[in-house]
Amino acid sequence: MSLRDVLPGMVVIAALAIFGAMVGSYPAYLVSLAMINIIAALGLNLLTGNSGQISLCHSSFMAIGAYGATLFTARYGLPFWISIPLAAAISALIGAALGFPARRLTGLYLALATLGFLQIVQLGIEEFADITGGVRGMKVPKPELLTGLRVSEYGIYLVVLGVCALAIWTARNILRSRIGRELNAIRLSPHAAQALGISVARVKLTAFALSAAFAGVAGGLMAVVVGFIDPVEFGVSASLRQITFIVVGGMGSVAGSVIGASVLSALPEVLRPVKEYSDIIYTLILLGFLLFVPRGLVTVWDRLVVLVRPAAPAIGPEERAR
Amino acid sequence: MTVTLALQLAIAGISVGSIYALVALAIVIPFKASGVFNFAQGEIVTFGAYAALILTQLALPYPVVFVGVLLIGVVGGMLIERTLIRPIVKAPEFTLIIATFAIGLLIKGALALRFGDSPASLDGPFGTDPLLFAGLRFNPTAIWIFACTLLVTFAVLAFFRYTRLGKAMRAVSISPEAARLMGIKVETVYRWSWAISTAIGTVAGLLVAPLIGINPEIGQLILRGLLAAVIGGFTSIPGALIGGLAVGLIETFAGVIVGSTFKNLVPFLLLMLLLVVRPQGLFGVAAIKRV
Repeated sequence: MSLRDVLPGMVVIAALAIFGAMVGSYPAYLVSLAMINIIAALGLNLLTGNSGQISLCHSSFMAIGAYGATLFTARYGLPFWISIPLAAAISALIGAALGFPARRLTGLYLALATLGFLQIVQLGIEEFADITGGVRGMKVPKPELLTGLRVSEYGIYLVVLGVCALAIWTARNILRSRIGRELNAIRLSPHAAQALGISVARVKLTAFALSAAFAGVAGGLMAVVVGFIDPVEFGVSASLRQITFIVVGGMGSVAGSVIGASVLSALPEVLRPVKEYSDIIYTLILLGFLLFVPRGLVTVWDRLVVLVRPAAPAIGPEERAR
Repeated sequence: MTVTLALQLAIAGISVGSIYALVALAIVIPFKASGVFNFAQGEIVTFGAYAALILTQLALPYPVVFVGVLLIGVVGGMLIERTLIRPIVKAPEFTLIIATFAIGLLIKGALALRFGDSPASLDGPFGTDPLLFAGLRFNPTAIWIFACTLLVTFAVLAFFRYTRLGKAMRAVSISPEAARLMGIKVETVYRWSWAISTAIGTVAGLLVAPLIGINPEIGQLILRGLLAAVIGGFTSIPGALIGGLAVGLIETFAGVIVGSTFKNLVPFLLLMLLLVVRPQGLFGVAAIKRV
C-alpha cells in the first residue's frame, strides 16, 4: 500500500478527530452514530451485497453485540475494550450458527429464516427480563479504560473513529483477498463457484460470521455511545434501515456502505422540521433507489467521474469489487 | 389437562388460527400467480381494521361495513399492483422482498399519521356473550371468524377450479409466457390476484378487530401468517387453512405446556426448524433449489 492510498484516509481521520474536539457533544454524538452505522453497513454489505445472501436480521447481531458487551461490563466488570470484541466474537459465532441452516436456503426462504431469527432474538431479550431488562431496556455503564478510570466522551468518539477506520480498511482488504473473491463468486453463480472448487456452504458460513462480527462491534459501540439499550432499537425496522444504507449507497461496494450510511444518518437531522413524515420519506427513498437507482449512489459518483475525465477506462462494478 | 380444558383450548386455538389462515391465504394467492411474496400483508390487515373502524363510526350496519371493507381491499390491491408491483415484477428477488416490506412500512406510516398509536376497539356483529354448548364456552365472534375463514377458503378453491379467471391464474402460475401465448392477459391475472389477496387481508382486519382490538401493531400477525404459509407449502390453498389452524393450536397449547414466557418463541423456533428440515412445507411441492 503506497502513501498515495493511505494519505486521503489519514487526512479524513485527522479532520474528523479535530472536528470532534471542536464541536459540542451533540454533533460529535451524531457523527459517532453515523460511524457506527457505517460499521454495521459494511458488515451487511459483505453478506448481502457481495455474497448475495438476503438478511433481515442484521440488527439482531447488533443486539447481540450491544447486550453482550453491556452484560460483560455490568456483570463482570470487564472494560469496554475487552467486552466489545468478546461480544463481537460471540455474535460471529452465532452468525456462523445461523449460517449453518441458512446455507441451504436462498432468496425468499432465507428472508423468512432470518426474519424468524430476528423474532427469536427480540423475544429472547423481552422474555429474559431479569438479565436483559426486557422491554424496559437497560442502562449501559459508563465506559472505563480500567476500573475507576473513566473515558471522556471525546475519548469514546476517538475510539469509534478508530474502529470505523479499521472496519473500512478490513472490509476493503477482505474484498481484495481470496475470501472477497469467493463472496462475489457465490453471488454471481453458485454453480460455477462450486465447479471451480469453492465450497459454497463454507463461503456462506464465512459471510454470515463476518457480517455478524461487524454488526456485533457496531452494536457494542452503540451501547457505549448511546448509554441505553432496549429491544425496539434492534427490530425489523432497524434491519430495514441498514438495508436502506447499502441500497442507497451501493450494493457490494465498501464506498457504497460508507456513503449510504453517512448520507442517511444525516437524514433525521435534515428532516427534523417534518419529523412526523420522516418514516415515510425514509421508506420512499428506499423504494425510489430500489426502483430507479438499484446500484446506488456510488454509480452516480462513477458517472460524474466519467463526465469529468472522459478518458478514464470504464470499470464495471464487478471489476471494482476486486 | 382435563378434556374440557383441552377442548376449550382447541376452540381458542382454532379461532386465532382462522385469522392466521386468512393471512396465509392472502400471501399465497399472489405468490402462486406472480411469484411475488407480499411482506406488506400484515399492514394491509391493519389497514382493513382501521377501514372497518371508520365505516362503523359512520353508523353503517355491519353487512355494509363488511362489503365496504371488501371493496376497499379490492381497489387498494389493484392500485398497489398497478403502481408499485408491476414495474418490478421481473426484478430480482431481493428487490421484490425489500419493496413489499417498504410498501408495508408506507401503509403503517400513513396509518400512524392519521390515527396515531392510540388503540381503538370495534364490536363484533354478535356481541360478546359466550354461547354455552356441552359445557364449553364459544365466543360468537370466534365462531363468526371461523365460518368466514372456511367460506373464504372454499370460495378461493372453487374460484381456482371453476372460474375462467381462476383457471387463467393457475395457467399463469405454471408459465406466464405459455399463458400469454394462449391469449390470457397476464396483467389482468396479476391485478386480480392482488385484488383478491388484499381483499382477504382487509376482511381479516375487520374480523380480527373485535378479538384483539385495533392498534398499529396488528400487522405483527403476518409473522404467524408466514409460518402458516410455510407449513402449508406456500402454494397450497388448503395448506394455508390447515397451516393457519395448526399455528393457532400450537401457540395456544404451547402457552399451557411450556408457560406463557416461551409461548411466543415456539412458532419461530418451529419456523426455523421447518425451513431447515422441510422448506417446501408439509403440503407444497419441492420448488426450492439446493445449492
